[in-house]
Amino acid sequence: MNQETPFLRVAGVSKIFEAEGHGHERIQVIDHVSMDLTAGEFAVYLGPSGCGKTTLMRIVGGLETASGGDVVLAGRKVTGPDRQKGMVFQAYTSFPWLTVLENIRFGTKYRNDIDTAQKDEIARHYLDLVGLTEFADFYVNRISGGMRQRVAIARTLAAGADILLMDEPFGALDAQTREFLQDQLLEINRVEKKAVIFVTHDVEEAVFLADRIFMFSARPATIIEVIKVADHIPGERHMDIKETEAFFHLRNHVRDVMRDQARATEEKLERALRPEDGGE
Amino acid sequence: MTRPSLFAYRGQSSGRSDLVLGICAFIGFIGIWTLISHFEVVPQRFLPLPWKVLSALYYMLVERNFSEDIWISVARVWSAFLLSVVMAIPIGMWMSNYRIVGTLIEPIVDFIRYLPVPALVPLLIIWFGIGEASKIAVLWMGTFFQLVLLIADDTKRVPREFIEIGYTLGAKPRQITQDIVLRAMAPSMVDNLRITLGWCWTWIIVAEIVAANSGIGHVIWAARRFVKTPEVMAGILTVGIIGLATDQAIRLLHRRYFRYL
Ligand SMILES: Nc1ncnc2c1ncn2[C@@H]1O[C@H](COP(=O)(O)OP(=O)(O)OP(=O)(O)O)[C@@H](O)[C@H]1O
Ligand SMILES: [Mg+2]
Repeated sequence: MNQETPFLRVAGVSKIFEAEGHGHERIQVIDHVSMDLTAGEFAVYLGPSGCGKTTLMRIVGGLETASGGDVVLAGRKVTGPDRQKGMVFQAYTSFPWLTVLENIRFGTKYRNDIDTAQKDEIARHYLDLVGLTEFADFYVNRISGGMRQRVAIARTLAAGADILLMDEPFGALDAQTREFLQDQLLEINRVEKKAVIFVTHDVEEAVFLADRIFMFSARPATIIEVIKVADHIPGERHMDIKETEAFFHLRNHVRDVMRDQARATEEKLERALRPEDGGE
Repeated sequence: MTRPSLFAYRGQSSGRSDLVLGICAFIGFIGIWTLISHFEVVPQRFLPLPWKVLSALYYMLVERNFSEDIWISVARVWSAFLLSVVMAIPIGMWMSNYRIVGTLIEPIVDFIRYLPVPALVPLLIIWFGIGEASKIAVLWMGTFFQLVLLIADDTKRVPREFIEIGYTLGAKPRQITQDIVLRAMAPSMVDNLRITLGWCWTWIIVAEIVAANSGIGHVIWAARRFVKTPEVMAGILTVGIIGLATDQAIRLLHRRYFRYL
């Protein structure tokens, strides 16, 4: 790989949805977004609801095509989904007809760079890594939501993805489970050193997990601020840092920026609902 | 004290008590039938005693080669059913996977689905004669168009995320169909096949009554001509027993094979 080109380059990506229905509506969801990611970097997308975070992530993953701009991953232009780009959704996607171990093993099913024995070994390895050894033979609808998300993460890792794209993976979980999984995710990624794009609404989660936080405006999404967390919170990332002054400061700053965005969205909505007294 | 779950709203079922209750209801049903027939509330000519029906069934099996008619009907039902299934699964899946197939086929299927099958029987006899082909055709008409929509629906209900995950794990479309979509839809598909098989038994009797010289429907119709009510009822009973047995067998397989549900 060329030294100058970053691991992931998102260059001037836009997305316009052609909404069907009465009249032909064109909704611009993403407006010329550019960002780079180095290998092993943990990026968090933060933005108001409906701004286009999921859409941007899906474009990076090749599940959606951009209306303009390019995504280049490890020197190759992204044209569709493949094993290189692993996805974890908010909805549970582990397969109910397979056990925990079989689900993780499924991640290796379409790999032809390794043989069967290696596949078994890899599945076991990731089973242990996400701490589900005792639940290997449970069907996934017999385990908790948090465990199901760990299965999904392990399956993606077993597939040998270069980048993990996670769309609010802990969004449906309770606060304790969430904190536990955030910690575990960092732990896992200290071993795996994968590039990650992690979408969330939760400011605390963003500050805790991210190497860099990308804050988006209301729709159409543009990047309004990028924060390098290490500049504000030095040192190793641990549960304890959530109690520190530095963490507080950064969290409050991020929250204020997000609040302004939310207010802007609100006002835009209100104006749209009352077009007669002075719209645009 | 906890309320017995039998009377609780959506109470949990317990295999044992459900079975006992089922048997009780069945015995009660036979009892009432016996009483009505015994005291001739309805003349026995129309409602014979239960054991008369059983002895008629025995007589038919031993003296009249009824088992051959049973096999003929079973064979017709299963060949038509399998034909429907083999066609409906791929076509139903294409309908929901490729919009072009869906939009082309759905209006036709929807139209044919509402045609009453008995009304089609004369037409099918004109086309296929009174041989086996016309029976298969009747059953096929009666089941394929329903089944194909049910399969399309089952396919549509597979979460889109499952398919997208498949792609991000490196699967090709064919592998996604085989390893993910079919597996995900299998439980509801098997349920739909079971229900469809039940319809086959309805249509086969219709077809055999109208045009056949063999099969359970034919035997029932022939017995009617001489008002042999016990034999008519024995024929009906046979259909009921076969239906119940297959239904239970498929349910058992369903529980066995889809243990994760
Ligand atoms: N297939 C589509 N067709 C039309 N509009 C779409 C489509 N997908 C998304 N949108 C619209 O694009 C906008 C952005 O959606 P997206 O899901 O990317 O937002 P998000 O930032 O992930 O929101 P949330 O935080 O609620 O998950 C939304 O207004 C949505 O209605
Ligand atoms: Mg989203």
